[in-house]
Amino acid sequence: MKEWFSDRHLVFLVAMNVVVVLLATAVSGGLFIDIDNLQSMGGQVSELGILAIAVMLAMISGNGGIDLSVVALANLAGVVAGLVVPHFFSPDDAPVAFTLGFVGLSLLVGAAGGLINGLLIARGRMTPILATLGTQLLFTGLAVGLTNGSAVRIGYVEALSAIGNETLFNVPIPFLIFIAIVALVGFVLKRSPFGIRLFLMGTNPKAARYAGIPENRMLVFTYTFCGILAAIAGIIIASRTSSAKWDFGSSYLMIAILTVVMAGVKPEGGYGRALCLFFSATTLQVMSSAFNLVGISSFFRDMAWGALLLLSLASSRFDLRAFWPLIRSPG
Amino acid sequence: MNRKLICSALALAFLGAAGTLYAQGKQQTITTVVKITGIAWFDRMEAGVKEFGTQNAGIKTEQTGPGQADAAQQLRVIEDLIAKKVDALAVVPIDPAALEPVFKKAMSRGIKVVTHEADNQKNTMVDVEAFENAAYGARINDRLAKCMGEAGKWTSFVGSLGMQSHVQWAEGGAANAAKKYPKMQLVDAKTESNNDATKAYEKAKELLRKHPDIKGFQGGSSVDVLGIGRALEEAGLQGKVCVFGTGLPSETAKYLESGAINGIAFWDPKDAGLAMNKIAKLLLDGKTVTDGMDLGIKGYDKVKVTKGPGGGIVVKGQAWVDADKSNYKQYPF
Repeated sequence: MKEWFSDRHLVFLVAMNVVVVLLATAVSGGLFIDIDNLQSMGGQVSELGILAIAVMLAMISGNGGIDLSVVALANLAGVVAGLVVPHFFSPDDAPVAFTLGFVGLSLLVGAAGGLINGLLIARGRMTPILATLGTQLLFTGLAVGLTNGSAVRIGYVEALSAIGNETLFNVPIPFLIFIAIVALVGFVLKRSPFGIRLFLMGTNPKAARYAGIPENRMLVFTYTFCGILAAIAGIIIASRTSSAKWDFGSSYLMIAILTVVMAGVKPEGGYGRALCLFFSATTLQVMSSAFNLVGISSFFRDMAWGALLLLSLASSRFDLRAFWPLIRSPG
Repeated sequence: MNRKLICSALALAFLGAAGTLYAQGKQQTITTVVKITGIAWFDRMEAGVKEFGTQNAGIKTEQTGPGQADAAQQLRVIEDLIAKKVDALAVVPIDPAALEPVFKKAMSRGIKVVTHEADNQKNTMVDVEAFENAAYGARINDRLAKCMGEAGKWTSFVGSLGMQSHVQWAEGGAANAAKKYPKMQLVDAKTESNNDATKAYEKAKELLRKHPDIKGFQGGSSVDVLGIGRALEEAGLQGKVCVFGTGLPSETAKYLESGAINGIAFWDPKDAGLAMNKIAKLLLDGKTVTDGMDLGIKGYDKVKVTKGPGGGIVVKGQAWVDADKSNYKQYPF
């Protein structure tokens, strides 16, 4: 039953993708499926998609799980790496070492930030929404304090720039990273003991506790992983903008949550599918790019996203096919 | 006979194809990307963008921008426009640093790039500034000083610390006061309003609590003076505390009348929109802007051209406007 339900949602999301792509292609006279536009969309969807996966994992873990600090942490990781790494490796003389250092330090900052979240929630017994709201402000404040509020310019470093801007067999590298993470998270959630425990913990924490699941360790691990995902998004952002700034993507958090909810992840925990999240993220992206291509106001885009969310919720609550005979044979 | 027919048919087809190509090459698109859509300032700029389109038959102009003032959203809009293959981009960047790679990409694909309010932008062909930012900040500061009797505590606002021009106005004002008015004391400089009147109002209230003896406010973003004015009205301080800053006549009218805002300064975004599009057209025609050139737009009739931080140039006009209660009605925006 559950499997069937989730598939129905997946069908809805894939159908929305197809509908939007077909409509946009028709209206733009084929420009929409031009390789340039496909690459541009693939590059854009990744950072938001990865942030959404982090929010999804937190949500699945239950107990009102959510991670509001992801965008702030992504920016903090970029800011710290952008400030520190040039002191050790010259971006001009050792571009590869610089890039490795940048990636490594960003991931470290992300893991540390995620660990703080995990400890606050697991050991401190704080509600996730409050704990991560607090750390969101903390991370943002740190990034502002370190930079005095201005952008950290990284400049053009070939290897680092490649992460966000180059393509491999015509597929943008950030998109490949996004797909790899979707596949990894999808596998872990569905096939690994960790994923099964996480679902149980989210569905029924009491039962999980009696089943001997190490709740605290699971939570700390999950939020640390969220932090690492945030850092990966931060690296892609830094690469795509060759800079890092505390307020980049200030609109991303709500969009990430929207992506997660539209993907059918249960806000109360215990259920979520990586594949649905992928298609949820691409739906929002193709809609947004289609509107820009045709020249429709971004306010209309927000409205359309809202309508899509309601439709998506409806599709998971009611079987839309029940209405089909009514439409086919009126009266 | 038959051969002649084929030849003429071929020639006709060729002509037709050439004609289509010519027509495609002729109608060029200049897209203006603003920081945020739906605020009066950029609505006024859109008037200039549209006017340029109607004046130039071969050019299609349009204006777009993100719904939230987020550099990430603006970047996405520009990426989509590059994929759309526009001929020229005229951009008012939220954060110039974040747009460097995307501008580089645009130029590598032959798209002409013109920016406004971003004289630190490296990857741009021409950056247009209405005036020297520091001089503009100093000019507002002079008016503020006169109102304050050249003494007392004052503070400055910026939209955000990442907004290059706002920071330069605030610093230009501060440098001016430090040089000319030793009795003026700058407190909590460069308060961020996030380009939000409500935020500016809250920050102004905080500052009034912190410094009950404050005598002057210098606004940065065009909505800062609105928030400050509202806070002063609520505290019954209109006329007692001086407020000067960038603002739009239509938005500030109420406070200019009540005296909560003493004076505003601005450049006409419509003229800035015209100037950006005019320069984009020059670039599309294979020309450029030279020192002392007349762009045929008010305030940009004798522009100053300097080398930019990257490969491009910076063009500066003298397009500022001082307004107060007595003359704001002359500017219908």
